Amino acid sequence: MFGGAPADAAHGLKPWAQDSSPGLSLDQLDGGAFELATSTDSITIVHFFATWCEPCVEEMASLQALHIGAGNAVTILAVDVGEVDARVRRFFSEHPVGFAILLDRDRAAMKAWGVEGLPTSFVLAPGLRPALKADEPVDWAADGMLSRLLALSPEQTTITNREDKVP
Amino acid sequence: MITRRDLIITGAAATAAALILPRMSFAEEAVFAPEPGAWRSFDVTTRLELAGAGKAQAWLPLTSVNESEWTRPGESRWDTNAISAERVRDPKHGADMLHLVFKSGETAPRAEVTSRVQLRDRNWAADRDEPRALTETERALYLEATELMPTDGIVKETAEKAIAGRTTDQEKAEAIYQWVVDNTFRNAKTRGCGTGDVASMLRSGNLGGKCADLNALYVALVRAAGIPARDIYGIRVAPSRFGYKSLGAGSATVTKSQHCRAEVWLEGRGWVATDPADVRKVVLEEPPGNNGVDAPKVVAARRALFGAWEGNWMGYNTAHDVVLPGSDHKVAFLMYPQAEIAGALLDCLDPDSFRYSITAAEVQA
Repeated sequence: MFGGAPADAAHGLKPWAQDSSPGLSLDQLDGGAFELATSTDSITIVHFFATWCEPCVEEMASLQALHIGAGNAVTILAVDVGEVDARVRRFFSEHPVGFAILLDRDRAAMKAWGVEGLPTSFVLAPGLRPALKADEPVDWAADGMLSRLLALSPEQTTITNREDKVP
Repeated sequence: MITRRDLIITGAAATAAALILPRMSFAEEAVFAPEPGAWRSFDVTTRLELAGAGKAQAWLPLTSVNESEWTRPGESRWDTNAISAERVRDPKHGADMLHLVFKSGETAPRAEVTSRVQLRDRNWAADRDEPRALTETERALYLEATELMPTDGIVKETAEKAIAGRTTDQEKAEAIYQWVVDNTFRNAKTRGCGTGDVASMLRSGNLGGKCADLNALYVALVRAAGIPARDIYGIRVAPSRFGYKSLGAGSATVTKSQHCRAEVWLEGRGWVATDPADVRKVVLEEPPGNNGVDAPKVVAARRALFGAWEGNWMGYNTAHDVVLPGSDHKVAFLMYPQAEIAGALLDCLDPDSFRYSITAAEVQA
């Protein structure tokens, strides 16, 4: 079900065994509402963070690096938890990123996803199938990370098999 | 060749040394010994100026902690161009605030609020009145988890480790105090007083922060151990009389001197003062800075700050997860002025977009 990606202790990512992912219906920092669409063909990362969280700052930079490397193959959703919009806006004016910033102002999304602390990240396979979870900081720019993520996508199986020897 | 000028300087230096040396030896011994004595009165004034288009509202915390042992709130008076200025009380925690509503199109919303408060030192070793009992409602309130202070999971596991082998509430509360002092650190980079997301701190193993982190961690651990505890969110209003630069207001302007402390409820003793975050502040900031835990000033502060604190600090309230009246916004604690313009909450830690100042003046009797 994970497209062959095993638990990856080195990256902090572990199998996320759950039948379906919770929904995500939040305001975006840049305005407008966001709804997680089940029809997505891409790999999706849902990353819960806050600007006060020191390891989150470094991780955000690695997510941006992944975003540049992966393009449309990986959708990144960064969910800020429980902070004033103005503070989040100021943070991203200093640390710009190319993906969506969502606002979990009342921590409802954090609770729905069972997040116990920040940072926590979830990786969803196409169709929003639960795949991987990390309840610690992840280096998304690490060697091999992109191919491991793409291995979750059925179309990528051939490439993955060759590169990562995943059965 | 020794000139007359050299001699004068040398003579002056010698005199200065003679004056300073006894004080230095005094500092080596380091005294931090709050004792309930005379009450002192302070006027604390918050001035707010908002800019920007749209309807504005503001909420200013007012001192609402009333404990006959160490704090007596006095009157508050205000001057504002708001169309409505109302003293409001958070129903759950009794946190008082001034709720200001400005008319749409008001170009320069402003307010000035002055509150009188009487304060004195606390020390649990001093003669104290027989404490009243906590009601069941109060006990439940001071044991409950908040949005940022869970009392289960990793918080409970950590508390159980910290109190292993201890039997009485007092031993447990003190063991957790020592655990927090030993395992946390003050992080100068933390904005404001910190956030207080206790579970994230423990899970990440990064136990750095400021008072709203470290003392919230203390309160969460004590609650998880089944002992009532509470944070008091407030502000420093005067220098320390014990010569601790890090434990007092540096000047009459206290705009950035917010500080929260903690209390633990011990049967037969009542609310007991404590402040492990201030021990870590002495470690980091007390000149010369980056002190060892065995530095005399650290040792003296650590000995005192479970059971005592100095009356140079005022408490606003003990509230968590406060819904701002007339707004959809909720704050984890109400220690800073809050304001919203056109429905957007301002960042109370960003002086560029949210201008306010706070001053404190001692009122001579």
